[in-house]
Amino acid sequence: MTFFGLGQTAELEIVLDRPDGKKKLDESSKKDQSLIYYDGETVSGRVNVILKKSSSRLEHQGIKVEFIGQIEMYYDRGNHHEFTSLVKELARPGEMLQNTSYNFEFLNVEKPYETYTGSNVRLRYFLRVTVIRRIYDIVKEMDIIVHTLSSYPDMNNSIKMEVGIEDCLHIEFEYNKCKYHLKDVIVGKIYFLLVRIKIKHMEIAIIKRETTGSGPNTFNENETIAKYEIMDGAPVRGESIPIRVFLAGYDLTPTMRDVNKRFSVRYFLNLVLMDEEDRRYFKQQEITLWRKGEKHLKGMQNRNEPSHLVSGKDGPKGSEAPRTTTQSVQPSGSIDNTDSENDHNHSPMNEGDDEQIRSSIEDSTSE
Amino acid sequence: MTQMEDQEKQLEFALASVQKQGVHMKMCLDKNKLMEALKHASAMLAELRTSLLSPKSYYELFMKVTNELCYLDLYLVEEFERGRKVDDLYQIIQYAGNIVPRLYLLITVGLVYIKTNTNLKRDLLKDLVEMCRGVQHPLRGLFLRHYLLQCSKNVLPDVPDNEETEHPEGTVRDSIDFILMNFAEMNKLWVRMQHQGHSREKERREKEREELKILVGTNLVRLSHLDSITLDKYRKIVLPGILEQIVSCRDAIAQEYLMECIIQVFPDEFHLYTLNVFLKSCCELQPSVNVKTIVILMINRLTVFTFHNSNASEVKLFEVLTEQIANIIQSRDLPLEDTVSLQAAMVGLALKCYPDNLDYVDKSLQTISDTFAKRKIEKISHKNPVSRELMALMKLPIDNYNDLLLVMKLKHFPEIIEYFDYTGRKTIAIYLLQNAVQCRTMIPSVEQADIVLTMVSPLVKDQPDQPIGEEDPEDFAEEQSLLGRFVHHMKADEPDLQFKILMAEREHFSLGGNKRICYTLPPLVFQAYQLALIYSGKREQDELWEKKCRKIFQFCHQTILELTKAELAELPLRLFLQGALTISQINFKNYETVAYEFYSQAFTLYEEEISESKCQLAAIILLIGTFEKINCFDEENAEPVRTQCALAASKLLKKPDQCRAVAISSHLFWSAQNNVGQPLQDGKRVMDCLKKCVRITKQCMEVSVQVQLFVELLNYYVYFYERGNNNVSVDILNQLIGQIKKEITGLTPNEETEQITKHFENTIAYLQNRIESADTEDSVYKALEGLTL
Amino acid sequence: MCSVLVIGDMHVPFRSSGLPAQFKKLLTPGKIQHVLCTGNLCTKEMYEFLKSIANDVHIVRGDFDENLNYPDQKVVNVGQFKVGLCHGHQVIPWGDPESLALLQRQLDVDVLVFGHTHKFDAFELGNKFFLNPGSATGAFNPLNPDIIPSFVVMDIQSSTVVSYVYRLVDDEVKIEKIQYTKK
Repeated sequence: MTFFGLGQTAELEIVLDRPDGKKKLDESSKKDQSLIYYDGETVSGRVNVILKKSSSRLEHQGIKVEFIGQIEMYYDRGNHHEFTSLVKELARPGEMLQNTSYNFEFLNVEKPYETYTGSNVRLRYFLRVTVIRRIYDIVKEMDIIVHTLSSYPDMNNSIKMEVGIEDCLHIEFEYNKCKYHLKDVIVGKIYFLLVRIKIKHMEIAIIKRETTGSGPNTFNENETIAKYEIMDGAPVRGESIPIRVFLAGYDLTPTMRDVNKRFSVRYFLNLVLMDEEDRRYFKQQEITLWRKGEKHLKGMQNRNEPSHLVSGKDGPKGSEAPRTTTQSVQPSGSIDNTDSENDHNHSPMNEGDDEQIRSSIEDSTSE
Repeated sequence: MTQMEDQEKQLEFALASVQKQGVHMKMCLDKNKLMEALKHASAMLAELRTSLLSPKSYYELFMKVTNELCYLDLYLVEEFERGRKVDDLYQIIQYAGNIVPRLYLLITVGLVYIKTNTNLKRDLLKDLVEMCRGVQHPLRGLFLRHYLLQCSKNVLPDVPDNEETEHPEGTVRDSIDFILMNFAEMNKLWVRMQHQGHSREKERREKEREELKILVGTNLVRLSHLDSITLDKYRKIVLPGILEQIVSCRDAIAQEYLMECIIQVFPDEFHLYTLNVFLKSCCELQPSVNVKTIVILMINRLTVFTFHNSNASEVKLFEVLTEQIANIIQSRDLPLEDTVSLQAAMVGLALKCYPDNLDYVDKSLQTISDTFAKRKIEKISHKNPVSRELMALMKLPIDNYNDLLLVMKLKHFPEIIEYFDYTGRKTIAIYLLQNAVQCRTMIPSVEQADIVLTMVSPLVKDQPDQPIGEEDPEDFAEEQSLLGRFVHHMKADEPDLQFKILMAEREHFSLGGNKRICYTLPPLVFQAYQLALIYSGKREQDELWEKKCRKIFQFCHQTILELTKAELAELPLRLFLQGALTISQINFKNYETVAYEFYSQAFTLYEEEISESKCQLAAIILLIGTFEKINCFDEENAEPVRTQCALAASKLLKKPDQCRAVAISSHLFWSAQNNVGQPLQDGKRVMDCLKKCVRITKQCMEVSVQVQLFVELLNYYVYFYERGNNNVSVDILNQLIGQIKKEITGLTPNEETEQITKHFENTIAYLQNRIESADTEDSVYKALEGLTL
Repeated sequence: MCSVLVIGDMHVPFRSSGLPAQFKKLLTPGKIQHVLCTGNLCTKEMYEFLKSIANDVHIVRGDFDENLNYPDQKVVNVGQFKVGLCHGHQVIPWGDPESLALLQRQLDVDVLVFGHTHKFDAFELGNKFFLNPGSATGAFNPLNPDIIPSFVVMDIQSSTVVSYVYRLVDDEVKIEKIQYTKK
């Protein structure tokens, strides 16, 4: 960019180098092809300064490169909270007569959070090169993507619960885990203990809840990521319906809790039953999503054979009758309720936890 | 818009959409754009989510869709076999948001995997049949699972499950589990249809269920096609699995259909060895299930099977069935007619498979008898369905044995007959006799004759429970004729015994009343006449033969008199005459007296009882004709009878009748014989008769009748002339011929006079012929040359 | 050609229980065009049986027929033949050829069919044909102790009658052929 066409100016170029070559987010991502980094990975590369006019020199007050991690709230424009900021000086003040390259390296840099772009909040990492000048600086920024990897969770109980509306509908549902990685499969089943309503169909929705702000300014944004029909028609008592939802096909992120005390991203499975009068009955269950290291995914199976079959070891035992309440059954239908051990056969309609969800399974009147 | 038009419209829309999406799908496949193709396939399959179609229309749509899916299947199999694998295809298609299209795709793709990698068979089949649970809508679920069954038709593992070897491709056991589960789920869906919608639409729903039943039954058909299902496996796994589902579904329509399905589709050998289990399940079916039909179907199948497979005899079929049927009857409140028809099937089995074992049949009869006694049943109206079923049962041994004597060996047969009302008993009686007559069964003893005649008692005599009112006379005549025919079937080889049988019969028949004895007694009389001839033939062996003959004719005399008491005349007259003829053939002591008694009885009947002129003529001709043949009288007895006959003939009412009867009586004085053994040949008496005829003829007013009689008399004269009656002269003949010629020309020509003329011409021609062909020595005809012809 | 069944003197039910099974097997519909019956059937069932063999049935009254609608004698034209039909108990002496000839002349027939004696008989007299089919059931007759069940089928073609006599001898059907040609 030149002012009044006078004086020298330069173009900046950041070239990142990766020992394992290019690794980019897939094309479905909205962002440009950005490189993916993990926590503790060195971010290194080269800054090329390309002079626009070959005849004149470039005067500067110094050149620096910064590594910045920041959270941007959309409702609070300009107030960017940087949780990471590292600076490397590339050149002391002076003059530049020709195109020049500078190597840089942020060694084993800490990247505590995952890159995230939501409806109200954005968490981004970027490199910023600045050529400091008297009147205006020449600045170039470049985003990188950070993925936080988790290892296989130690505790990963199934979610199992009996819920119902008195004398109307009693079901027991089971999801095989409470924590799923992003390419995982939710396997489960719904067992109908009592059916006195005419159910038309049943679906599972994956709901993403983004929470920003704190205290009275807490703001929730729910987004239905997927709607997946798992049952057509009306079952009768004793019927058991298998659930199998492949997550890989959906645009999901790992669960993020209280990122830098500024926002959270949580996921819920919403089991919805619709009756013939179009009344909806539903029950939400939070699940934790996590990112599994790519390496672990590779070579796990022959990709020409279908996985997660009923008969496989991970498969739902759809046709089995429900066990009578066992210890693995979570005692209550309420998500956050941790105390009650009583009444685990019949989860009462518990209090809802936000504006949409009012109870475990409840007639929410027609929507 | 009517409901039907609406259906058509809906179907039309759906089919059009399927067509469109199908075309797109194929186009994408042709361009190798699989993912695009799958999207179209899914859109096409989405049409099957409809709730607007009737089962019939839905079926049509289903056929169209699955037909289109074939293309996808073919494409994928080809691609897979070519080695091109689509990563995670099985997973990819599961992203489809709606379950119905998703599962159709899953089945299609799953089968492609199976076809190209048989090691996946076991797991994939299990997966598919499980995942289909997601569709709980009856109609959609039934068709989805039908598609699964259809697709898997040729890939179901059918190798024995040997425990020692691994079978990654699966064994017949996996197929059994697969089909049994699919069957159970389909049946549940099918049954559920019954409980949907308004109760006023019950009829329509049942009709729709009826249309869909074949989908459920196909599971059983598929099972029956698995060759590796051995008897053992059928007994231990397959049948219990099916029965459990049938019993537990508690739906009468399903139970009835599926139980019959089992019988129809699986081999009879299996049934034979699993009979107990099957029949026990029958006890547990819903009360409204027609268990009788099911059990009878089974019995009938096994009957045919056992009949054709002698090795089947190792199963004590009859005993097992008897026990189980008893259980069924006890456990279910079966209508009485069903109980009876079950026993009828058992009787059928016994007759066909154990023909020598009469006890089996008797046992079933006893069971019925006991049941009736227990239920305090006394009489069963023929209008009652029980009667109908019982009748069918009773006819079985009759039809199968084709031997009344064997039927009589069934101890409980007569006692069951007693439960029928009059109409029922009569029907059986007729059936029994028809069979005996047709099969020419002979009843050889008094005891047996007594039993039979008691069994057919509604034909033999009036019944206390007989409805009042006229019976159809034609039916009655037919029934009584049948009984009369049967008389000829009660016959012993030994004459003394035969006579006892006849006496026993008469005792029964005498109770029949006037309307019956005219049918039943005459055959008895003729049998007695025949018996007398038999004794006559045994005169050398049996010194008492004469006494016995006398006794027989006494018996006949009494019997015929019974008929006269019934105010009959012509029939006893004929019977007496036949008796007289018979007696005249048997030269026993005093036979002349007996014969005379018979003949005089006949003559008395003629004189006293027959008044109608036409009947009189017929009777006198018969009396004359018979007497002409009786040759046992001495002249002292014979002479008055001859005169009497001629006199009676001349006393007939009408002149022509008189003329003809007297002419006939002339034979009594010529060819008839007395006990001397020579024809009488009293030419003068013959002439007296004929002359009287001429006199009578002249008294006739009508010329044509006169001429006709003259021509007839001319023939008589010629007849006796030819036989050497000297009293007939050429003059007399000429006189007669002249008379006829004179009068015949004056006759008005018509059909009748034409006949008379022809008769005359024939007579003249005959005479001419005689004269021409006469030898010179043949003086009789020579003399005729003097005739003016 | 035309086949005529000549049959009579069944005497059911008084003297016989019915036709022999062997005869019944032979007497099926479709082979016969006319039935001439000499009478003494004596039941309606027997009439219906004859009617089942051919539609054209002619019956005269026997001495034991109760049916008064049957005539005493009848003339039937079959092809070139005039056939007379009479039971014969009215012709005395019974079965006497000369007496029968009287009737033949009166009826002006080529063939005279008669019965009553229960004995098959066939003879020509003055170039006329006389035929007695006997008793189809082998009914008892006091004057004739050895009765053989019999009936006749006449095949009539132009001026020839070929009579096939069916007789049941020792439970076996024996067939004889007799030919008569009208001059």
